[in-house]
Amino acid sequence: MALEHSLDLQIPFETPQQAQIAVKVLKPDPILRPDDFEVDYVSNGSVLEVKFRSIDDRVLRVGVSSVINSVKTVVEAMDELS
Amino acid sequence: MVNLNAVAPGGGREYYVALGLEGSANKLGVGVVKHPVVGKHEGGDFSYDCESQILSNVRDTYITPAGEGFLPRDTARHHKNWCVRLIKQALEEAGIQNAAKDLDVICFTKGPGMGAPLHSVVVAARTCSLLWGVPLVGVNHCVGHIEMGREITKAVDPVVLYVSGGNTQVIAYSEKRYRIFGETLDIAIGNCLDRFARTLRISNYPSPGYNIEQLALNCKKKDTLLELPYTVKGMDLSMSGILAYIDNLAKDLFRDNRKNRQLFDRDSDEAKISVEDLCFALQENLFAMLVEITERAMAHVNSNQVLIVGGVGCNLRLQEMMQQMCQDRANGQVHATDERFCIDNGVMIAHAGLLQYRMGDFVKDLSETVVTQKFRTDEVYVAWRE
Repeated sequence: MALEHSLDLQIPFETPQQAQIAVKVLKPDPILRPDDFEVDYVSNGSVLEVKFRSIDDRVLRVGVSSVINSVKTVVEAMDELS
Repeated sequence: MVNLNAVAPGGGREYYVALGLEGSANKLGVGVVKHPVVGKHEGGDFSYDCESQILSNVRDTYITPAGEGFLPRDTARHHKNWCVRLIKQALEEAGIQNAAKDLDVICFTKGPGMGAPLHSVVVAARTCSLLWGVPLVGVNHCVGHIEMGREITKAVDPVVLYVSGGNTQVIAYSEKRYRIFGETLDIAIGNCLDRFARTLRISNYPSPGYNIEQLALNCKKKDTLLELPYTVKGMDLSMSGILAYIDNLAKDLFRDNRKNRQLFDRDSDEAKISVEDLCFALQENLFAMLVEITERAMAHVNSNQVLIVGGVGCNLRLQEMMQQMCQDRANGQVHATDERFCIDNGVMIAHAGLLQYRMGDFVKDLSETVVTQKFRTDEVYVAWRE
C-alpha cells in the first residue's frame, strides 16, 4: 500500500545552527516499521522541516507525536544548557 | 600494554571530566566524574584504581503506585520531563560553569534496557554533544556497573555477580571480555522480587526489593523455612516458576483459602505462614541459588573475590550469605557497594565511558549512537584491561 497520509511540520528555531543540530539529533534513529511510516528531516535556514508519510492516520499520529516529544527535549536542552 | 593516558585531557588540564547519563529503566541518573592523569596508568592494568572523584551523582526514580509496574512509555515520559533539569543540577553541583570547555566526554547508556527510556536520554545526550562540541561515548549498562564496582571497592579481578531488575548474570573477565558464566534463563531476580511485591501490593518506594527485605527481617520463624522450588540449571537459573509458586501461596493467604494446608493449620484452621515468612523464604531461596552458581564460577576461574553489583546487590542479606560462602572458601572476600552506586546511576556510566574514551574509543558519527534493547555484556571489547 502506498504511504498516502502525510503531514509537514515547520518548527522555527532561533538560529540556523540550532535547526541543523535538531536535524542531526533526530536523524540517526531508525523507524520501527519502515514499510508503514517514513520521516524526513531537513533544516531550511533556522527552520526545521519534518515531512511525515504514513500508511494510515493512526500510525501517522503516533509517529508525529513521538517526534514532537523528542523535539521538546532538544529545545529544552538548547534553552537551558547552552 | 594498556595505556590509559593515550588521549590527553582537553584544555591542557591535568584531569579528565566526564558527564554520564543513565536511563535504561525507571531510574534517571546523571553524574559527573573526574579522573586525574596518573603516571602508572601509562603502563599496566590499573583500571580498577583511577583515583576517580565523584563531583556529582543525582538521580530521579519513576515510582509507580503499589501493585503496579513501570511501563516503557510512562517511564520514557518521566525521563523526558526530568532529563534536562537533572543534567543542569548535576553540572551545578559539580561546579562546571562552561561545559563546552570543562568536559572531555559525554557518556550515555547504549543498552541493554527498555527502548523508549533509553531513547529519551540519548536525544538529550546528542543535543548536549552538538551544543558543546564534546564527544559522545556509548556505554554498555552492565559494564558500567562492573567498572564502577571495581573502582569503588578496588577489587582487581573479581567474579562479578550482577543482579538487578533486568539482569542476573555471573561474570568473570578473560581475554579482553567480561564473559558470562551463568545467567537467568527467564526473568531477572529483581523482576521476580518486584513482581512479588506487586502481588503483595506493597509500596514501590524507595524500591520494592527494599521493602521485601524489611518485611523478611520481621519473619518470626526463620528456623522453619518454607520450601520453594529450587531451580539451578547447571550454571544458570530459572525464576519464573518460583514466582508463580509463591504468588499462588500469597493469593491463597489473602483469599483465606483454608484448603491450602501448607498455609493453614489442619486442626486450628489458623494461618501458619505470614507475609513476612513468604518474603523471608523467597529471599533465602533465591539468594541461595545465586550463591551456589557464584561459588561454582569462583572455582572455575580460581578466584577468591566476589563483587556484587546491580540494584539487588544492596540487599544486606544477599551480601551476608555471600560473605559466609566466601569465608568458607579459603578466606575469600565479598565486595559490595551501597545504594549510591549499586542502584543505576549516572556516575557509573561516566566512569566506564571515560575508561573507554581514554583508550581512544568514542563516537565518530551519530549513527553509532542508536540505542539497543539487547546488548550483551560480552559484546564489549574491554580495551582498558590486560
